[in-house]
Amino acid sequence: MLHDMTRRRFLGSAAAAGIAGTMTGFARSAAAGSGNLTAVEWGGDVVEAMKQIAADQNAATFNWVLHQGGAGAILPKIKAVWPNVDYDYVAGWEGSFNSMVKEDWLETINPADVPNLANIPEKIIIRDGKGNIKAVPRAVGGMYFGARTDTAPIAVKTIDDLLSPDLKGAICWPGPTQSMMLQIVALALHGGGSETNMEPGWKLMTELAKSGNIGRVAVTDIDFTNSLTSGETSVGFFAEPGWAAVAKNFPVTRFTKDSNFKAFLYQSGFGVLKNRPSTKATLDFVNFAISSDMNSLYAKVAGEAPLNSKAVTPDNLKHLSFTSDEFSSFVYVPDYNVVLEQQDAWSKRWEQDIAPLL
Amino acid sequence: MTKVRRQPVAISIPDRRDAALTLGPALLVFAFGFLSPLINLAIESLKEFTPGRVGSVENAAATVQNYYELANQAFASVLLTTFWIGGVAAIIGQLVAFPLAYFIVRRISPRMRTLTLGFLITLVLSSVLIKTYAIELTFGSVGIFRPFLLTLGLSPNSREYINIVVIAGLVHSIIPVATLTLIGAMQSIDPRLLDAAQSLGAPGWKAHLSITLPLSFPALISSTLVSLTFAISAFVIPMVLGRGRVLFMSNVIYTRFSDIANYPSGAAISLVMLAVALAVVAVITFAQARRVSR
Repeated sequence: MLHDMTRRRFLGSAAAAGIAGTMTGFARSAAAGSGNLTAVEWGGDVVEAMKQIAADQNAATFNWVLHQGGAGAILPKIKAVWPNVDYDYVAGWEGSFNSMVKEDWLETINPADVPNLANIPEKIIIRDGKGNIKAVPRAVGGMYFGARTDTAPIAVKTIDDLLSPDLKGAICWPGPTQSMMLQIVALALHGGGSETNMEPGWKLMTELAKSGNIGRVAVTDIDFTNSLTSGETSVGFFAEPGWAAVAKNFPVTRFTKDSNFKAFLYQSGFGVLKNRPSTKATLDFVNFAISSDMNSLYAKVAGEAPLNSKAVTPDNLKHLSFTSDEFSSFVYVPDYNVVLEQQDAWSKRWEQDIAPLL
Repeated sequence: MTKVRRQPVAISIPDRRDAALTLGPALLVFAFGFLSPLINLAIESLKEFTPGRVGSVENAAATVQNYYELANQAFASVLLTTFWIGGVAAIIGQLVAFPLAYFIVRRISPRMRTLTLGFLITLVLSSVLIKTYAIELTFGSVGIFRPFLLTLGLSPNSREYINIVVIAGLVHSIIPVATLTLIGAMQSIDPRLLDAAQSLGAPGWKAHLSITLPLSFPALISSTLVSLTFAISAFVIPMVLGRGRVLFMSNVIYTRFSDIANYPSGAAISLVMLAVALAVVAVITFAQARRVSR
């Protein structure tokens, strides 16, 4: 009873609670060391794929944490608690991994600890300035323009068509912190610029914002999926998992092999964080996840092309598979270090020049 | 009229000890939970940001650039949008909550009153996200009222329409809080005052304007301030209902901190927002205090 509480009894209870809490902490640390991993993944089909992979092994159990917003949104959460980070691995891509490498948060990967790395193309592996491997790639995804063909008011054939009055309110445009603003790099490329000369991109972006054709600015993956599936908008620029979610129920055309548009490819993979008690268990799981069978399973469920050379690419991902000629014609690989360093300036420019026009 | 001079009251040592004991825990929580993060934020806001890094780097140079770069039209526009939409929502919320509170206190049975209070408390405790998506599904661009809106000549794609939906979302959350705040004030008004005014010939509306409204005015101001504070700090409502096209200060702060990891800029915007919000609250409170002293 509360009114029976004396000071001595209160202090006794507090001490008992403190000891219990500490013991729970020790138990958690011990569990973490024994293969209870905390993993940060994207939601939807990606985490579903990883759950299926995790279910095929017994060495590790998982607490799944999902990215909220862009992959970069995890960075401040790590910074806030560093070096006592809670995550064993973080799923990311060039954008977030380059930041993590700069902050020196990622374990250096010894190829001997992840033997299946031998089947991953050497060129795509992220390294630091000294050549150390800092992340383990698992798949290739893409970010590109596309359209829901059953609701699009016109057949979009070039980037200039995005300004057509027929598309009033029909475009779902990624928010300023989605896709590292590669959507504006795409506009810049169309206008003769690049990530180092963005003025043509900003000029086109201004015209697009003024046109009234942007019906929604998607600030999360689910914003994009909801907008396209509900019929609010029909045309957009987004990453493959977003398009795949729409394509499950509606006809979608992805402009990945169209010389009028540029597609951006990225690798998604695992960044293993330092200062964790279960690094070996994490590396063992990462190695298992990029094995040919699991990489095939990942591709089938998550909708990203596998990187293990022995894995099977599903038929529905052929638009992500390029011959070398196709690659040079349709794919653009930006300098991600330039893109990363410009995020702050580009985001401010969006707020100042574009947001007031929407 | 003679003025009453206030005599200083001596506080005995046991009283001081009691005051320290009773206020101590709250002051400690305030110092650790609010003041220290605020000081941390102020320090962060004065550091230089290196593009590509997460937050300010160790030993970053001191600068006022993070404040200086806020002196532009775009930032002023976001600030204005936040206060304009938030202010309109707060006022509409009072216009609905005031008669509702009166109705609950004076016009329904005690049993119904208990039920209504329970309903309002449920509304306050229910998830903002659920309420926001309910409004999106009803009034959004693909909501069930879309055909009705089109017949009224309202384009669901227009900026004006999106502003209205954001205001509707804010009002939806404000009404239960404002009503519960005003119910207390309504209950303390003696109903015989209204009866007396009407028995002396005052029409109902005039009796309310000269008795109910002035007597509940302080509560109305408090309710407006609570509603305004809620509205200008809203994050989910403008993000979901604003379709990424309506930016509130909270959305900009989130982007700075979470997405582009520019902590110094996020900290500077947060402090400017805090200062402006405190100034608005102070002006309203000061005006109310002057009105009472007259």
